[in-house]
Amino acid sequence: MDFDYLLSITEFILKGTGVTLKIYAVTLVFSIPLGIVCAFGKISRFGPVRALLGAYTWVFRGTPLLLQLFFFYYGLSALTHGAVQFDALFAAYVAFVINYAAYFTEIFRAGIQSINKGQYEAAKALGMNSWQTMKRIVLPQAIKTVLPPMGNEAITLIKDTALCSIITVTEIMRNAQVTVSRDVRVEGLMIAAIIYLCFTFVIIQVFRLLEKKFAYYKN
Amino acid sequence: MPAGGCGWPPACAAGAGMRDSENRVETDIIKVDNLHKSFGKLHVLKGISLTVGRGEIISVIGPSGSGKSTLLRCLNHLETADKGSISFEGEYIADIDADGNSVYKKNREVLAICSRLGMVFQNFNLFPHKTALENLMEAPLTVKNEDRRSAEQNALSLLAKVGLSEKRDSYPGQLSGGQQQRVAIARALAMSPEIMLFDEPTSALDPELIGEVLHVIKQLAEEDMTMIIVTHEMAFAREISDRIIFMDDGMIIADSPPDGIFVNPEHPRIRQFLSKILQRDD
Repeated sequence: MDFDYLLSITEFILKGTGVTLKIYAVTLVFSIPLGIVCAFGKISRFGPVRALLGAYTWVFRGTPLLLQLFFFYYGLSALTHGAVQFDALFAAYVAFVINYAAYFTEIFRAGIQSINKGQYEAAKALGMNSWQTMKRIVLPQAIKTVLPPMGNEAITLIKDTALCSIITVTEIMRNAQVTVSRDVRVEGLMIAAIIYLCFTFVIIQVFRLLEKKFAYYKN
Repeated sequence: MPAGGCGWPPACAAGAGMRDSENRVETDIIKVDNLHKSFGKLHVLKGISLTVGRGEIISVIGPSGSGKSTLLRCLNHLETADKGSISFEGEYIADIDADGNSVYKKNREVLAICSRLGMVFQNFNLFPHKTALENLMEAPLTVKNEDRRSAEQNALSLLAKVGLSEKRDSYPGQLSGGQQQRVAIARALAMSPEIMLFDEPTSALDPELIGEVLHVIKQLAEEDMTMIIVTHEMAFAREISDRIIFMDDGMIIADSPPDGIFVNPEHPRIRQFLSKILQRDD
């Protein structure tokens, strides 16, 4: 085993960690609030809003994320004859935020709708208005319901960031591939795998703690 | 009946109608006139008229599907009536237009009125993410903007009243059905309602837990709380009620003191219903 080689490529691949984490953080920070807003839209009384959001979640959950990445990186530029040209990282942010918000929309919608009608009725009978009911009764319970699917998304997201390597974003996967093709050796892929496993381990623990925190009551 | 909310003709006052010096009926809490409600093609309430006096205890009995619960739910706007009027202490929640259709007040005003009616549900509907104490404090804090200390004191004394002081920090999931329903009654009382509505409060309970809930309701009766109770507990209804309302097929077919219903009822539907119930109890 060539220890010096492993050390040098590990160092190189780890340089992509910052970018991977940036994409991860930006996606979560923007797609979760966007998903909450869209979830409210999807359960709203306004038919056109519901239809529009239905189309949105269908398109972005119904086409490959890779295709969406290509669209925001190459496609937009081609369609606008170069007037709109995102750099690779920004295109990744846009594609990931819009794509993940579509998933979060459905998760939050299902979470809110999973709350028993009796909860709304009890709140209303006590004189609480719909905003108070949402904020104090429905959402606190919905959080517990959405945590497991959120955890799944959080794990999928860290792995999906690897797709950005294809549009030249220099994240973990991109750097691993560089070592593979430069040195014609596969150790780079193993190193990348270990880094991803470390991240997913942390994410799993975080969600385990969150679920534990919300297990203080039974539904 | 005129469409405007111009007070009621005193002649309409049923129940124990005492009048104050201004000659206004002060004792009627709820007045319902010609209420209709349909769910799609199903006509559930077919012209219900009802007056509830202050301090009265009314039990609503009748076969399943006769509209008992729907009537109760219309009173505090959990269901929206199609036709007819509902007023609370002389204030219209729903008035009628020229065609007799219900016209509700603005949502905010309806909500404010309905917060003065306490509701107890068949399935308790406690907030599972809040402790018993927090369940009681929730509405006083958010709806009435009470300060935390007085809300907590009031909540604690209500928990003591329903015999659950030691469960103040328990979550509903940790309580038995009977305990949950007692917390639910205390939660409704925490808003100091002027009338309590009970929608089959013991129907979801195991038989051995029914007594403790009925006991709490009896306690309220002794304090002259105005109550409308939809129930299948016939002996309880007979014992506690000033009036029994018998509903069948969306209509009130009898409204009388308990003996008028339970002792040699004239109406064949009532006889039929009671004989079925009594057979079951044997």
